[in-house]
Amino acid sequence: MLSIRNLHAAVDGKEILKGIDLEIKPGEVHAIMGPNGSGKSTLSAVLAGNEAYEVTEGDILLDGENLLEKETEERARDGIFLAFQYPVEIPGVSNLQFLRTAVNAMRVHRGLDELSAVDFMKLAKETTKQVDLDPAFLKRGVNEGFSGGEKKRNEILQALLLEPRLAILDETDSGLDIDALKVVADGVNALRSPERAILMVTHYQRLLNHIVPDFVHVLAGGRIVKSGGRELALELEERGYGWLGIKDSDEVEAG
Amino acid sequence: MANTDKQVNELIKREYEHGFVTEIEAETFEPGLNEDIIGRLSAIKKEPQFMLDWRLKAYRRWLEMDEPNWAHVGYPKIDYNAISYYSAPKRKEDMPQSLDDVDPELLKTYEKLGIPLHEREKLAGVAVDAVFDSVSVATTFKEPLAKAGVIFCSISEAIQDYPELVQKYLGSVVPAGDNFFAGLNSAVFSDGTFVYVPKGVRCPMELSTYFRINAANTGQFERTLIIADEGSYVSYLEGCTAPMRDENQLHAAVVELVALDDAQIKYSTVQNWYPGDENGKGGIFNFVTKRGACIGKNSKISWTQVETGSAVTWKYPSCVLRGENSVGEFYSVALTNNYQQADTGTKMIHLGKNTSSTIISKGISAGRSSNAYRGLVKFGPGAEGARNFTQCDSLLIGDQCAAHTFPYIESKNKGAIVEHEATTSKVSDEQMFLCRQRGIDPEQAVSMIVNGFCKEVFKELPMEFAVEAGKLLEVSLEGSVG
Amino acid sequence: MKTAPTLSSAFLEAAAGKLPAPLQALRAQRGKALADMPLPTRKTENWKYSSRYLKLTDELAASLPSGRNSGPGLAVDGYHVVIHNGVLVPEASDFPDVDGIEIRSFVDLDDDTAQHLADRLDNTLDNNAVQMARLNTARFEDGLYIRLRQDAVLDRPLFVIFEADAEAAGSVYPRIYVDAGANSQMTLVEEYISTGDQTALVDAVTEFSLADGANVTNVRLSLEGENIHHIGATGARLLGHARLDSHCVGFGGPLRRHDLQVRLEAPGANCRLNGVAVTQDKQHFDNHTTIEHVAPHCDSEETYRNIAADESHAIFNGRIHIHKDAQKSNANMSNKNLLLSTGAEIDTKPELEIYADDVKCAHGATVGQLDETALFYLVSRGIDRREANTLLSMAFINELIEQIPVEAVRETVQARLNRFIEQAFEGA
Repeated sequence: MLSIRNLHAAVDGKEILKGIDLEIKPGEVHAIMGPNGSGKSTLSAVLAGNEAYEVTEGDILLDGENLLEKETEERARDGIFLAFQYPVEIPGVSNLQFLRTAVNAMRVHRGLDELSAVDFMKLAKETTKQVDLDPAFLKRGVNEGFSGGEKKRNEILQALLLEPRLAILDETDSGLDIDALKVVADGVNALRSPERAILMVTHYQRLLNHIVPDFVHVLAGGRIVKSGGRELALELEERGYGWLGIKDSDEVEAG
Repeated sequence: MANTDKQVNELIKREYEHGFVTEIEAETFEPGLNEDIIGRLSAIKKEPQFMLDWRLKAYRRWLEMDEPNWAHVGYPKIDYNAISYYSAPKRKEDMPQSLDDVDPELLKTYEKLGIPLHEREKLAGVAVDAVFDSVSVATTFKEPLAKAGVIFCSISEAIQDYPELVQKYLGSVVPAGDNFFAGLNSAVFSDGTFVYVPKGVRCPMELSTYFRINAANTGQFERTLIIADEGSYVSYLEGCTAPMRDENQLHAAVVELVALDDAQIKYSTVQNWYPGDENGKGGIFNFVTKRGACIGKNSKISWTQVETGSAVTWKYPSCVLRGENSVGEFYSVALTNNYQQADTGTKMIHLGKNTSSTIISKGISAGRSSNAYRGLVKFGPGAEGARNFTQCDSLLIGDQCAAHTFPYIESKNKGAIVEHEATTSKVSDEQMFLCRQRGIDPEQAVSMIVNGFCKEVFKELPMEFAVEAGKLLEVSLEGSVG
Repeated sequence: MKTAPTLSSAFLEAAAGKLPAPLQALRAQRGKALADMPLPTRKTENWKYSSRYLKLTDELAASLPSGRNSGPGLAVDGYHVVIHNGVLVPEASDFPDVDGIEIRSFVDLDDDTAQHLADRLDNTLDNNAVQMARLNTARFEDGLYIRLRQDAVLDRPLFVIFEADAEAAGSVYPRIYVDAGANSQMTLVEEYISTGDQTALVDAVTEFSLADGANVTNVRLSLEGENIHHIGATGARLLGHARLDSHCVGFGGPLRRHDLQVRLEAPGANCRLNGVAVTQDKQHFDNHTTIEHVAPHCDSEETYRNIAADESHAIFNGRIHIHKDAQKSNANMSNKNLLLSTGAEIDTKPELEIYADDVKCAHGATVGQLDETALFYLVSRGIDRREANTLLSMAFINELIEQIPVEAVRETVQARLNRFIEQAFEGA
């Protein structure tokens, strides 16, 4: 479904990704792990089409089509969903209005009728339960005054409503306590299906206890330095990144 | 990161949809201003002597006044002798006896503007006074209103039919010597709307005036006077458009509101005068004095405005809060684009005990425009227990525009409390990225974000206008993301 | 049209003095330019609320005679310079002897240095906004030139005591110019005091030029008597990553005006401006500040608090101007006011003028009384109402006083503010 070939990307002229190769097939769950500054978030931003990042070399193909030629919103409609690490607030725009606009944009693209306000309200309320959010959140401004955990659940709510083909979760576990982590993980597991792929970007392996990946890749210095199965994550937890000859700024500080 | 700016800028290119001219036979004065012109104007309107005297006094005073230059706007010097001070469609009769007598061209014009004047196609429960250039051409729903005791007519009619009310209140809130443009208006105003709501009456429908400038080289100087007697309530809406012309045209209106004990006036404006083209050519100079006097105790005056038009705007709808416990409100959205300039805001003058006021101002600057909020909150020595809350937010779209905030706060009472806050922001790259990542069109995203920014003001508008206002912003921002 | 009153020519006769030629020439040039200068009126925007306090009668035109030291023996933990009626008194001063730091009297400058200075004086100030500062330049008879070479650090605060000795009516024109080299550091405390009881005008100007990375703290105390009219201006230009930390504390008088203008001219420049003004009886105090964000990536933080009691009048006007290229500016301004009596007046105008879109700017202003719930809380704990009022009022300004990094100043100022507040609530 998704092929990343020799991907190089830079921000403000500084090269962050230095040749990434990755194949993701429908139904698979991949985890990208790596220390801070390894380029994990850059990879998710580049996949979603954030214009702050410049692709200097390589290709990204989605079902054989060149993704790099498409605008952010076109990629979204093709089924790429990014759950943000730091979801931004949009004051005054209600979550409901925002979600309905997004869902209908998606539906129109897929040749479906737009949902009426009433039908959408029903659907949205139903889905809030799945991520343990009070339906009252639908009336509030997008992420406005939400706690960290609420913002993350709101991201998963959007994923459930937009039914993406590839969901990219950027550090979705960061800042969550264990209860919130479970709720988010349940939401993500509900997303799993044979047609849909999931790409998780994370620093720690604790999320992987709840969402079990098929493949684990270690990203360091802008390259994938090791790939393996679930067991690779466990090994990383036990031995740290140092074992792979990678410096992890967090571990250095902690030590 | 400059990408969002570029997209937003492209989205802003818009077209003015009310720019057509109506071909109609009109009687128009030759340009120029002197006592003779004022005499002719007064005569054509068959005004009583007191009115002519009032106009001439205002004119003589005006000659000694200086045009204000303190606002944050710049425009070429206006030659007041190059303007025609009267232009009216020629009519078969002196006055149309019913809507059937109104020139069909005019009815078509208003229909095109979305304001059907025929009562059978009535605008959902809204009575309309249509002012075309210098005169009121039609007023709808006069009869049901009369049944309730509400007087809703053109001010020319009121001068003849209710001279005692006019004489008592005209100029009582905005005296002829108040400022340069109010002085000019007092001398030459040609028409406008008059409303009187008697004691204890809740006006059964929304009242509205629709202003249209059509003729070239004319100014529009309308005068609106609304009096809400004790315990009454009225909601009044005002809309404005003008054809696209390369020359600037002057609009210098005066609006006076009077609220007696326990009375409430809600005054809403959607101002969409022609703003000039994308190079800043043409457009209306909108120099307007709007003021309400809360004379009575527990009275309330609420101004809501959505300003998207005009080349230059100079406008400060204000409240003089004299009555105990009286309330003033000002909710404003001002959007400027291209080379538009707006200097707008409000004055809340607290004189009475326990008076309170709220100011919510949302300024949106795009293109190369300049948008300033200018406000005064004043507590006199008698304003014991008075309160004001002010929130001024500016949104900048693109790096060529400017946004300013000039709030004046003056307090002479230790028991009065004022709180003022102001912020500045832009449509951020992160917000745009989030929306687009969810599959939303950039254009729709900007429009949604801007509407969200204005939400607190839009919720104050009557339903019919809220929808129109939201659409207006959308049109104004059209093309702003590529 | 009435013609506006102009500055009396009596004010334009500068004393001969002993200044070096380049400074003499500068004075003469300014004096000429000020002929027929219109005086501010109610219609002059930046004197709107204060023009009625400005009384430049001819008797104030004469220079106050200098040359005598009546200054108190100072026991401050820092270097100090005493300036008596505008002229430096070496025998009452204690100059620092620190490498790279020169502190010199204008009259002692050689011609080259004097020319260098003459080329720079007034450069930090927007002259249209502070015309009275130009009068200072036309009239000063001496001044203090402080020069910090690159990396020079003044180890203790420098106190400059400006004493206006008003045995007779007249005026005095104190002047300081600080040229802070790259990465230099100093703390300058300006203290304006007075003796004598005749009416006098103090027209003071202090200017700072901060090179890359320079770090200057400026404390300005207006402590003059009821007979002194004070008009002061402080100007500062900051280059890359330079920092100005300004603390102004003022007690009211018949006319008290201070203009503070800061220009952030290169990325990373930043300033904190704190100010407190208190007025009682029929006193006046007017603070006007301007922060010019000229370059991108600069930060400013401004907090001013006023208390007005009795029939006094306190004014604040703060302007933040973000220039077109000053993207990524951060500017915050807050002005809070306590109005303690209905005879008093507070006027405030926090202005934003913004020409760049990617900026974070906010301002807030309040005018009001002490928080009733806080008062009630204290009273309910057995504290008497007057005491509670005093405590809360003090807390209102102490937040800023606590930030003054010179302990001796904090103590002096707190004691005086306490006295002021106690008086304000007397009989209340």
